[in-house]
Amino acid sequence: MDESGLIHDAQHGDLNAFNSLVLAYQGIVYNTALRILGDDDLAADATQEAFISAFRALNSYRGGSFRAWLLRTVTNACYDELRRKKRRPTTPLEPGTEDSDDIESPRWLTDPNPSPEDQLDQEELEHAIQHCLENLPNNFRAVVILADIQGFDYNEVAVVVKTPVGTVKSRLARARLRLRECLQTFGELLPAAFRLEEERGL
Amino acid sequence: MTTPSFHEVEQLSAYLDGQLSPEEIMRLEAHLQADSSLRALLGDLRQARQTLRRIPQHPVPRNFILTPKMAGIRPPLPRLVPALSWASAVAAILFIITLGGNLLGQLSFGATAPMLAAAPMTSQGSGLVGAPAATQPPSMDNAQLTPTQQASLLVPPEALPSGETRSIAPAPANKAASNPVNLWLFVWPSLAVLLIGSALLIRWLTLLAFRRKINKK
Repeated sequence: MDESGLIHDAQHGDLNAFNSLVLAYQGIVYNTALRILGDDDLAADATQEAFISAFRALNSYRGGSFRAWLLRTVTNACYDELRRKKRRPTTPLEPGTEDSDDIESPRWLTDPNPSPEDQLDQEELEHAIQHCLENLPNNFRAVVILADIQGFDYNEVAVVVKTPVGTVKSRLARARLRLRECLQTFGELLPAAFRLEEERGL
Repeated sequence: MTTPSFHEVEQLSAYLDGQLSPEEIMRLEAHLQADSSLRALLGDLRQARQTLRRIPQHPVPRNFILTPKMAGIRPPLPRLVPALSWASAVAAILFIITLGGNLLGQLSFGATAPMLAAAPMTSQGSGLVGAPAATQPPSMDNAQLTPTQQASLLVPPEALPSGETRSIAPAPANKAASNPVNLWLFVWPSLAVLLIGSALLIRWLTLLAFRRKINKK
């Protein structure tokens, strides 16, 4: 069945139809939550919470990009989670912003089980990006994750973060500027992957 | 060579996403040719953008499909719910009336004996008090008494019998109505039980229908 048919049935209480949508979108929802929160378990919780509230609020969906509507519920769930985390902080698995020593000698990047070199590069790159993403203000982070990681266009991002397209455009530019600066500090850490990009990019 | 303004940064960022109009693109490309710092910035932004696009997508740790419980799907309430809620309210009132009736009945049976004993006394007393009041004035001035006054003076003695019957009334009335009262004491609880029973039956039937519907799916 096509997406609009599934949405229509789900809006009339058909849980099986909704679960088909869950299976189709859980990847993008989970990965967005993972990039916003930077934690597997929290991302899984936010994803589940987002699908539950999406099912309950399904009648408020009135056409347009369904994935944008769905991603709005997950970004909201993530913001709630971030607020909760702020209230009861836990020990971070990755270095804080002020911990420049950790960036120089990243004990958080060392893997107890040595893996092949490319895989390590990939992991280092991912950790570096995640670290830089987490240093961004929440609303910048969501915009850059949606546009650059999930490949949303400006209009869809505007729907998700509930701001005008012009704001999306400027937030994205600011976020990219900040990410550029942050990623440059990892330049030596991420030799293979980053240099490869550098060559391709320029 | 100048430091690019934020507007230029914004334009470069949108340029990478293909979000500029043809005129904007032309203008920006002319700037880019003239300004090496702008070109360097474009390179940096492109690099940041492409690096982000390289971040791997993780497989989901589990399926996030919803169970009926998670979805908050509860069996539908019977259509008779408003009627049933009224019925339960009525049943509660009937129960209270029955309970109250029983208690009052016990109390009044205990109280009727002293009341009966007291009733003749008060009637006699009021008769005694009323009598001189009624009898004295005529003796003082018989000539001035009009028939209406006489009538009004006669009122207390006339009222007395009715007062007597009223005070004595409960006992015989209770005895006379004891059969209907007992009947109501039986009727109210059975009505309440009937209402509760029918509410439960309707709920059970609705649940049965819901389960059948779920299993069909």
